[in-house]
Amino acid sequence: MLIVSAPRTQVWAAFGEDLEKPKPEFTREGDIITAKLIPRAKSTSVSIQFQVSGGDLIDVESMDFKEAARPGVDNKDFKSELFVIKIDKVSPGGEARVSITSNFFTSSTEYWVFNPTSKEPWVNADAQNISLPDLVQKMTISVKDGGPFDSDGAVNGRITFEGGPKDSFWGYALGTLFIRFFGIFLVLSILMIGMIISGRVFQMLDKKKAKEILSQPKAPAPDIQPAESVEPELAAAVCAALHLHFSAHRPTTTPHFIKPEISPWVRQGRERIMNARSILTNRSNRLQNR
Amino acid sequence: MSWDQVFELIKSILLTQTGIPNLEVGQVIMILISFFFLYLAVAKEYEPLLLVPIGFGIFLVNFPLAPLMGFTEHGDPELIRAFYKYGVQWEVIPCLIFLGLGAMTDFGPLIANPKTLIIGAGAQLGVFITYCGTLFFGFTLKEAASVGIIGGADGPTTIYLTAMLAPQLLGPNALAAYSYMAMVPLIQPPIMRLMTTPEQRRIKMRQLRPVSAKEKLLFPLIATIFIILLIPAVAPLMGMFMFGNFMRECGVVKRLSETAQNAMMNIVTILLGLSVGATMQANVFLSWKPMLIFGFGLLDFIICTFGGILTVHIMNLFLKEKMNPLIGSAGVSAVPMAARVSQVEGQKADPDNWLIMHAMGPNLAGVIGSASAAGMFIAMFK
Repeated sequence: MLIVSAPRTQVWAAFGEDLEKPKPEFTREGDIITAKLIPRAKSTSVSIQFQVSGGDLIDVESMDFKEAARPGVDNKDFKSELFVIKIDKVSPGGEARVSITSNFFTSSTEYWVFNPTSKEPWVNADAQNISLPDLVQKMTISVKDGGPFDSDGAVNGRITFEGGPKDSFWGYALGTLFIRFFGIFLVLSILMIGMIISGRVFQMLDKKKAKEILSQPKAPAPDIQPAESVEPELAAAVCAALHLHFSAHRPTTTPHFIKPEISPWVRQGRERIMNARSILTNRSNRLQNR
Repeated sequence: MSWDQVFELIKSILLTQTGIPNLEVGQVIMILISFFFLYLAVAKEYEPLLLVPIGFGIFLVNFPLAPLMGFTEHGDPELIRAFYKYGVQWEVIPCLIFLGLGAMTDFGPLIANPKTLIIGAGAQLGVFITYCGTLFFGFTLKEAASVGIIGGADGPTTIYLTAMLAPQLLGPNALAAYSYMAMVPLIQPPIMRLMTTPEQRRIKMRQLRPVSAKEKLLFPLIATIFIILLIPAVAPLMGMFMFGNFMRECGVVKRLSETAQNAMMNIVTILLGLSVGATMQANVFLSWKPMLIFGFGLLDFIICTFGGILTVHIMNLFLKEKMNPLIGSAGVSAVPMAARVSQVEGQKADPDNWLIMHAMGPNLAGVIGSASAAGMFIAMFK
């Protein structure tokens, strides 16, 4: 119960290191800075491009959520964590337009801004979310020097813009849950239909084969010649010869005759007598002894 | 050398090269836990083929200073770390186990009654409910998915998905999956009785049609085409499973099929069990999460059983020939234990009712269903 009542971020900390925390790597190409990272709930990396108009994009850094943690704001909603965007050469009190582009965003992704100096530290930036080809989304935000989104709070021609893309955690979790669960039904239903069809085809083929076999004319019975009649004396002689031949190949181990209700001494004596007799009656032994 | 120096040397050797001074309480607890699982495996015969190597793996890695799960100075993996890295982390062993399982499986009951595939899908209900439930307890999405799949009652699938999404939970997830699979005869019957009336339990099903060898031969090809086209992410697991089954059914590679079923399965089972057990070192395992996982694992199994039976009840609303709802619980893919449980419960209601072959259909469908659920999760996080 203690775990349930604790805020989720604290629960995470209780369970050890946050292994899914994104670790972005930044590269610069002209005036575009690209962050490459593996967001939470993904196994492959995504790229997020940052671009500014109305100023110079100096740097983009990642920011630990712990610095911006406030009640009512959940880290899980920020799958790509937070960024600090530094803009320079903005006309004092003027506006710069920040564009953040990625195919990781959806049309419902929002950009939330953190300003520790403001009464409400976390605010929705109401970004303009434009859909581009290849499932790419571009969010554009107007930031005023010294305005509510500028965390340095000063009208000085420099803007420090802290925040991150936000997607509803539970919306994502439950939405994909229903899609995936019913997806399994869909997949197995399609397989079931395939199996029913192939089963019917095989049953039809088996029936056809059975009909063909039944409709074929019966082959004539092969000629069986009657056996030669043999004299009884000859048959008896052959049988005796076979018996003598096979009994000559019997193993030489002698049988043991045991009656459990008799005393051990009597039993041993009887065994010795019977063993001696069986040696004498064994034809192959007699032949060897000769 | 003076006596002081000698004593210093002995003390240094004792402290740095022997385990006794470095033994921690957590490690002692883990060794005792390993004894418990070895007892379950040996004395109670609960899934011994896996619980023995897992239990022994836990036992071995919880000795201090033992060079088993670390890396050498040159960065090479030590013994069990090598098994883990090249077998589990690289996803090789779970796929090989599926190859062996496919070679052991006769899909005849499923081919004869393909409707039971829907039961296999319905029995994955617990997977997704547990997935949601664990999110409330602070698990991440990936961790929640890896805990949810426990209810699919498929050890290799659980290990495959967990190693991919949340390797830090591999030990507790695998232990929970195999322990509860062994306890299916204890867990399922009360739910089966709760969800069915005596009259429903006495439903007799028509004998399954005979399935020709050609059908059994073509099934792995047809199933592979459908499943992998729809869920490409499940190709490693399902592909190997169906390959194993094809080797069995084609009849021209008996040596390979027998090797897959016997020698190969035994070898990979040993390596898998040791590797999984070895992930449960005291500093990793002794926290709230494994206990939550065990609790959720049990709930998962219960809801999956419920889901399977519920699916049969729903299907019976549309079918002329009713199915016995007891076979719904066999959608939990503990093959063939869950099917046996259906048989036993069916015979308690009517000694003349033989449900085992009818229950094997959903049982095998559950294997495909749980692998599909794993594929869905993998695709979700790609």
